Amino acid sequence: MSYKIPNAPVDTRSPEELAEREYGRLKSDDYLYVSRHPVGEPLPTPVDDEPPYIIYISTYISYLILIIIGHIRDFFGKIFKPQDYEDLVEKNGYAPWYDGFESFYVRRLKLRIDDCFARPIHGVPGRFVKCFDRFRSSNLRYTYTGTSTECLNLSSYNYLGFAQSQGVCTSTALKCVDDYGTSACSPRAHCGTTDLHRECERVVAEYLNQDDSIVISQGYGTNANLFASLVDPECLIISDELNHASIRFGIRLSGASVKVFKHNDMNDLNKLIRNSIAQGQPRTHRSWKKIIIAVEGLYSMEGNMVNLPEIVRLKEKYRCYLFVDEAHSIGALGPEGRGVCDYFSIPHSKIDVLMGTFTKSFGATGGYISGKQELIDALRINYITNIYGESVPPPILGQIISSLNVLTGKLNKGEGVERLKRIAFNSRYLRLGLKRLGFIVYGSDDSPVIPLLLFLPAKMPAVSRLLYDCNIAVVVVGYPATPLSSSRVRLCVSSALTKEDLDYVLTKFSEIGDLTYLKFSSGIAGGSKIPGEPPRWSIEEVLEHNTEDCKKPKLT
Amino acid sequence: MASQENVQATMSTKLVTATTTLQPSFEQFSSILADKFVGYLDYLNNIPGGTIVLRYIKSSYKNDPVRSLFELCLFILACNYFLSSKKKENRSDILDFSEKEIDELCRQWEPAPLVEKLGPQKSWDLRCTPEIKGHNGAMVQVTTPHIGERVKAVNLASSDFLNLNESEAVSSAAKSCISTCGVGSCGPPNFYGTQDVHVRLEEDLSEYLDTEQAILYGQDFTTAGSVIAAFLKRGDLCVVDSGISLALQKALVVSRCDLEWYDHNDMDHLDRILSELSPILDKQKPIRRRFIVTEALFSNYGDIADLPKIVELKNKYKYRLFLDETLSIGVLGDTGKGLPEYYGVPRSEIAITIGSFALSFAASGGFCVGVTPMIHHQRISSLAYVFSASLAPFSAKSASSAIKEITTKTNSQGKSVLISSLHEKTSYLYNQLKKTLTNRFFSIVSSPESPIIHLSLDKEYRKRLNLPIFYGNTEFLLNGKPARKSNGFSQRYNLESYILQKVIDEVLIRENILLTRSKNALDHENLPVANPHLLIMVNVAVSFEALDKLVKTLEDISHEMSHKIRNQEDLQILEQELLTY
Ligand SMILES: Cc1ncc(COP(=O)(O)O)c(C=O)c1O
Repeated sequence: MSYKIPNAPVDTRSPEELAEREYGRLKSDDYLYVSRHPVGEPLPTPVDDEPPYIIYISTYISYLILIIIGHIRDFFGKIFKPQDYEDLVEKNGYAPWYDGFESFYVRRLKLRIDDCFARPIHGVPGRFVKCFDRFRSSNLRYTYTGTSTECLNLSSYNYLGFAQSQGVCTSTALKCVDDYGTSACSPRAHCGTTDLHRECERVVAEYLNQDDSIVISQGYGTNANLFASLVDPECLIISDELNHASIRFGIRLSGASVKVFKHNDMNDLNKLIRNSIAQGQPRTHRSWKKIIIAVEGLYSMEGNMVNLPEIVRLKEKYRCYLFVDEAHSIGALGPEGRGVCDYFSIPHSKIDVLMGTFTKSFGATGGYISGKQELIDALRINYITNIYGESVPPPILGQIISSLNVLTGKLNKGEGVERLKRIAFNSRYLRLGLKRLGFIVYGSDDSPVIPLLLFLPAKMPAVSRLLYDCNIAVVVVGYPATPLSSSRVRLCVSSALTKEDLDYVLTKFSEIGDLTYLKFSSGIAGGSKIPGEPPRWSIEEVLEHNTEDCKKPKLT
Repeated sequence: MASQENVQATMSTKLVTATTTLQPSFEQFSSILADKFVGYLDYLNNIPGGTIVLRYIKSSYKNDPVRSLFELCLFILACNYFLSSKKKENRSDILDFSEKEIDELCRQWEPAPLVEKLGPQKSWDLRCTPEIKGHNGAMVQVTTPHIGERVKAVNLASSDFLNLNESEAVSSAAKSCISTCGVGSCGPPNFYGTQDVHVRLEEDLSEYLDTEQAILYGQDFTTAGSVIAAFLKRGDLCVVDSGISLALQKALVVSRCDLEWYDHNDMDHLDRILSELSPILDKQKPIRRRFIVTEALFSNYGDIADLPKIVELKNKYKYRLFLDETLSIGVLGDTGKGLPEYYGVPRSEIAITIGSFALSFAASGGFCVGVTPMIHHQRISSLAYVFSASLAPFSAKSASSAIKEITTKTNSQGKSVLISSLHEKTSYLYNQLKKTLTNRFFSIVSSPESPIIHLSLDKEYRKRLNLPIFYGNTEFLLNGKPARKSNGFSQRYNLESYILQKVIDEVLIRENILLTRSKNALDHENLPVANPHLLIMVNVAVSFEALDKLVKTLEDISHEMSHKIRNQEDLQILEQELLTY
């Protein structure tokens, strides 16, 4: 018992057993699928189901109550327990570190459900994740027992299951420590470029069918300074409203004008481009030097994909440039795992700036930019993360190179294909099951990110804790990461999970859904047994038909 | 650098705004207004139903017309605000076009290329990057496109000063971690991305640096931008050294706080600014956050900040101190604890310290240390922490073991063996260079303590070649806002870099020693940029003989170079030569 987070307990299980816990074995070839968008067919707009009105009303009332109680507690707390508010008031002539207003949400709402976030873990976040056992001993303190519990992992970004401590990728990474050390020692241009860096960049470029690429040691850092190298204040960036914080940060830093279009709304985008070109720059009406459209491949909070065919059509028609952030889609989408372009059968060369990360699918960290030789050459001497930032440590490069080689079949032939087919199957399997059980889930059919809507803020801790008690680790997200009324559970599917794991997840979700009243979908997003009626399959029915039905072209 | 007049000019405008208060004639003015207003109100009588409104207004405010007027103004302002916020763009600014005209305009629009194609004047820089084959350390196998392959070159271009990348202890720690945790962490710290190794490193670091808490970042370069933006908002104030690195410049731009610049390392200037600001700030209610921002060991100049003086000033005027120790952790002080240890100042005087694991610690990532509420706030609102995957576990483990390597192996005086060896080599090389480089080609600009020795072309020599005192622009210093236009290409900067590259190449060819030079993205720098420097990065594992050899060659080469390149005509020859590098 201690307030300190303990060290990892010793694990005496055999390597085979551990390997199975990191990456479950495939039991049958029935549990495989190839994800691909039928060429020429328009992308179906994902239908966002609406819950009954009563849910919306009670959601707002919940927040109202939480806010009122929060203010009352603040009011009396400041009088009776001033020591708790020390950080919020001026002290000896110094301003507080942060404002009371700014931190209200954190102190009065998030703190209540703090145990659902930042659960410390140890070991590989593979098929199972080992969370330290803890209980809350006061508002800000946890007591750790020193033991840990293995939970089925639906929370880590481990789409292709490359988070492993054994196997060819790990051996390559270990060998890189021996051959290259633990650090790259220097920014790229001084002496931080090794032959391994060059090889990695070649492998990445080849994987993406592009001329060349640059690898950076952090995905966030890749975006955060990229745009400043591409645009100046006389350029316009048109950005999706739900773009990731790193993209928005990068755009802000670039100093270019920015306009935002409604999430994935192609009509809005079309109108915005046309008007922007016609109007030109504000006040002067001089024409824009260039226009860059910035989108993500797969939106990690919504689970839906960019409408790439349409965007490519628009960008070609209006001669804009296209930036696609494939953080979540690279590896996870497409028959060969080559991202959204692969999924939609669009040549990669149509995208001017392809960005992505190695964090999500490849079990590594870092990001890349790839594109035409001209672009990459220019970036090599004019892209500040590349010039001033640390270069990628060698073991990470080893992991990237080997995982990409597994996917293309150069290493362990067959393994890569299996991983790709399993993530496709698992994603559809879980999504269809949840839909049929009556949950509201967002996103595209093939997306490995499945947001399951909770709406009421109180259901976030309820669901998270109930699932945790069943040894399932999930991520709950609410305001401010989502709109106020749509708190959700985000499930990240992985190739490492077996069909039995998913059956277990579905069974538990079904029970918890009944318990917390979460099955309120109307059926407009599909899943109904009898057309027109809301889907409310029993868990037995779901499990019986799911394997065949999830492989039909449309999930209904 | 920020000239005094200019700073004073900005100060005086500040004073004006601060003293603008309501004048005593306000009362007279309001009574006149009130009369007028009541007069206008009477018109309401003429409108049907207006009498009722009039009576209501008059009675509700007990015939206090100024108050009604005030509320009316507020009402109009509010309406205006809500209506205009829907349409941000000024209506009058929007031109009316028919669909057909828009089609036509779209067809006519000629976009610029995504990036300019690199001309030969710039592209030579691409061919300067050395490629290391295999293990990076004190001795490397290096290839450059211009020279070809060199087996076993002495590496004085790496920022791994303590040579921990070749340490058995560090790499075996990394390997054991990879064998249990895999490579990546697969999630942001708040979503199952915090592992026991991360927590251990945070503890080790806060113990090492003697602070309450520490927080880890996935990359050193994004740390500053994320930390500063988490605490400094519009209306907060930073007094900043005008020699800071690009990472800090960008961080300050993003935070949108008010900025005052003091001349690089000029404590008198800092004192003057703080004392001039203090009467204004004393009136401030509520108090806003105020910081002094500086680097410990400046990456652009290689000199160190005068910490005791800064601490004295910041306590006197009640500022917090933000110290960027990216280069100085693991370098300065008897056990490598950075600038405070070097000066014997307690770490608690420094509100926010940031640093990097990627240099002396032979790992990767960045960190921030300080008091608990400050770190705690970052865990929720620092963008690069919340929205990015956590540091790779093995990097955390390597950093922990690097700290152990530095702190546990000490000599009889309690100094770290590694660190004192670094200090010894640094001052040896510094003194040797100081002694020999007397032919007025190179001069040393860095402090004797800096393990990165900055050699600049000599001042007089640069004058003869008609090279400017600094590059870039001063817009940011003078107006507090970065220039809208980026610096653009500078041929003279290019040539100066090329001269240094020639020196680097010669040293590599003759003595098999790899050096480097400052490499800046001139376009992105918001502050005046120092002229390019030749950089010698001391490494503990490099022998004294190698250092002697380096000093000797540098002496020879600078002699030859100063004869070969004497005036501006010679520079023009270089201009041609560079095209075929
Ligand atoms: C779209 C997008 N871009 C970039 C990133 C940042 O990547 P990393 O975690 O490697 O810093 C993320 C991660 O969440 C992301 O979702």
